[in-house]
Amino acid sequence: MTRDSNQTRRFSRRKFIAASGGLGVAGLAGCTQSNTGGGSTAESTDGSYGGSGDSTDDGSDGGSGSLSGDINIAGSSTVFPLATAMAERFQSQHEGVDVSLQSTGSGGGFANYFCSGQTDFNNASRPIQPEEEDQCANNDIEPVEVKVATDALTVIVNNDNDWIGEGLTVEQLRELWSAESQPETWADVNADWPDEPLELYGPSEASGTFDYFIEAILGEEGPSHRQDYSPTEQDRTIIQGVNGSEYAMGYLGFAYYSENQDTVQAVPVENDEGNYVEPSLDTALSGEYNPLSRPLFTYPKVSALQEDHIAEFARFWLENSTDRAIVADEVGYVPLSDEEQSTMLSRLEEAAGSN
Amino acid sequence: MATGSSQIEDFGQVSRTVGTIFRYLILAATLFGIVVLAALLVYVANDALQPATADPGWYLTFFLTLVAPTALVGWAVHRRGPAAFTFGSFLVGLLVVSLMFSGGVGLLVVDVVPPLVGFSFAIAIAVPTAISVFLTRYSHRIGFTSRLSATAFVFYLSLFGLPGPIGSPIGVPQVVPSLARAIQSIPVIPVDWMMVGTVLGGIGGAVVGSYVAGVRDARTGLVAGGLAFAATLVSAVVGPFVGLNPVPSTVLTAVTVLPTATYAWRGAFTEERRPAGLGFAAVVVGGALVGAAATSTLGFAGPQSWVDWQFLTSAHSGSAENAGLYPAIGGSILLMATVAALSFPIGVGAAVYLEEYAPDNRLTRFVDVNISNLAGVPSVVYGLLGLGVFVTYLGQAAGTVIVGGATLALLILPIVIISSREAIRSVPSNMRQASYGMGATRWQTVKNVILPEAFPGILTGTILALGRAIGETAPLIMIAAPNVVFSLPTALESKVSAMPLQVYAWSSLFASEDFYTKAVPAGVVVLLAVLLAMNSIAIVLRNRFERTG
Repeated sequence: MTRDSNQTRRFSRRKFIAASGGLGVAGLAGCTQSNTGGGSTAESTDGSYGGSGDSTDDGSDGGSGSLSGDINIAGSSTVFPLATAMAERFQSQHEGVDVSLQSTGSGGGFANYFCSGQTDFNNASRPIQPEEEDQCANNDIEPVEVKVATDALTVIVNNDNDWIGEGLTVEQLRELWSAESQPETWADVNADWPDEPLELYGPSEASGTFDYFIEAILGEEGPSHRQDYSPTEQDRTIIQGVNGSEYAMGYLGFAYYSENQDTVQAVPVENDEGNYVEPSLDTALSGEYNPLSRPLFTYPKVSALQEDHIAEFARFWLENSTDRAIVADEVGYVPLSDEEQSTMLSRLEEAAGSN
Repeated sequence: MATGSSQIEDFGQVSRTVGTIFRYLILAATLFGIVVLAALLVYVANDALQPATADPGWYLTFFLTLVAPTALVGWAVHRRGPAAFTFGSFLVGLLVVSLMFSGGVGLLVVDVVPPLVGFSFAIAIAVPTAISVFLTRYSHRIGFTSRLSATAFVFYLSLFGLPGPIGSPIGVPQVVPSLARAIQSIPVIPVDWMMVGTVLGGIGGAVVGSYVAGVRDARTGLVAGGLAFAATLVSAVVGPFVGLNPVPSTVLTAVTVLPTATYAWRGAFTEERRPAGLGFAAVVVGGALVGAAATSTLGFAGPQSWVDWQFLTSAHSGSAENAGLYPAIGGSILLMATVAALSFPIGVGAAVYLEEYAPDNRLTRFVDVNISNLAGVPSVVYGLLGLGVFVTYLGQAAGTVIVGGATLALLILPIVIISSREAIRSVPSNMRQASYGMGATRWQTVKNVILPEAFPGILTGTILALGRAIGETAPLIMIAAPNVVFSLPTALESKVSAMPLQVYAWSSLFASEDFYTKAVPAGVVVLLAVLLAMNSIAIVLRNRFERTG
């Protein structure tokens, strides 16, 4: 029946199919694009089995145009907010670059990640130590020291603390934190202070802040840091601990204090001229706040700097390290001076150009 | 017999008070945990959503357009038939959950898998599947072994080419490219939305078609599947007129509209006939839309919620206002996909072996006890295992999708095995016996009777286990997943963050108070919403399972 009726129509079924097929093909042809990014995107998803011919293709694709690749950063929790701020801005300019950041502490980052070759940068709130350099050298990793900011290591006490007066001397700090004296109460250090148990909060041994405090207050040859305090890698815990108890004391990087100035109070520390100086960006920059102002570093490895996107990120970081809006206002550290910046940039270029 | 020296003299003093006190004590014990948790959640949700910041007019408008009509219509529908009310609520729930899922799929389609790659792999899987179905159906004269090897060869050729991964370690160059790669190298390709629409519409059409075919007949199923496929493609053309880009609108159609429409059709127009439920759902959805339109025209400001579009779609930022959860959401989704792909086959395989094949001997009992013990091992120990095995021993880069996924898969494997075994065990043994009685082999029994019957239970257990994995933080910290990443991982070897990890980072690593008091609750609310969406599927599956089984 259908066949009969078809034959009587002016258009046969065959003609209809041909016409609609032709229309469909024309429509599809209008909906095409040229295959540009296919090769390079395919490489990342199924490149694991790609033959040699494919991989050279993909390499040439990736080389031209914008930057792409991964950047792995670990290390100091003090430098972490600064590195995050820089990475955020860098990533918004370079879509193809994936930056991942981890807060491990300066020492933890060197020992567990950087010197075993897993990360490209290690942030540190103190210079690299000789044994860490040895460990890196054993794995053929050559770090470059780049100073990125200055921090004012800040000693904090509870807001209700009214006996601290105009501040603390370095000797008092040493006595408070040394393993030899180990005062149990405030009165053990100064008879005018209340006879109440001392609660101490500080960074843990993996932290560069801990190392720097030892260097600046206790001295390399001096007494060791006392162990009976509450160590943590999270600076917020220190703030919370000190905020929670009238007789508490702690120390940490300036950035965390500057965001929490109402929660705790900073203690002025006597400098080498005998003045009690409160930690601030200005006093750290002028050098008045000593001995607790300290340089902050990041250590890229030389082999990673040979890759364009990593060298570009290091350059970007340094170029913005004099920017007050990022370094001081957003993160809370002292920016580099122009002079320091150009020294660091030339050191970076030298390392990036080697090999 | 026992000596019987003790005799019951009397019942002691009879008092109802003790019984009543006991009853309310155990009621309190039942509610204690829930109440405490609810209080915490309300506290967190208050911080995240800031309901107090909304204009009273906003609440009034939504009360008038959404709450009051919903209550009235709901009450009326429920009086006429509770089943219709249940159907309507399920429909709304399905819409909400599938909207969340389309968000997840959209994220994968837009930012993770390039359309061409997805398209080429879909074809590279579809073609050999069609060939093997054809072989199985029409070529009875070919022996089983040769058919199996032919099928395997076609799949291998299509996905990997010749000689593929077997040849590359010994340095044999690629002679024949895989079908996937061949498609990727075509110079002129369809535009993105056509490729995405074809893949998603194809999958959606197949699912809808088979579902409808199950309800009605094969012919209706075919029509429904074809309609679903066409609707997905058409939506890409219609999308731009309502302010949606073509690719997201195909995703929305395939993942949200198709399931919801199919369920609505089934509930309202098949033999169950509950169109009243459809009305109820329409009142809820319509009320929400009208309310949204009314508040924006009348200018009533909604709550200054921290969980907003910006929070869901942007990466971490130095200021809490601009910070978002996007890379972490994507990371969690990819981790869960990896975990499911790894733990499901292994876990179900182990469960089938232990239930159906394993002899009852010392070794089996030993394995039994140990699986139960492994389910209770703290997650940080699994993290250490992952670090030791995958990173240190196998030399994988730390903190990648594959390492994180494998570690979490190990973590939930015992749970998957245990719940799958429960599901398999609950298949009535007379079904097994009937299958054996008809001369089926053990393999045929497992394939045709036990697995289909136990599948909803297995799926429920797996989803609940995934719900545990998505909230795990400790193993990810142990395998050194980064605290902050700014973009989605695009390969199995790229670094990944996850929602709980991002929340942890915000809670401790950033000085600004806003991260701690606003971004963290907002992250928690999103994490819980994703978790509840996953669990809702498990709950629905379990309810169906219990009703039929």
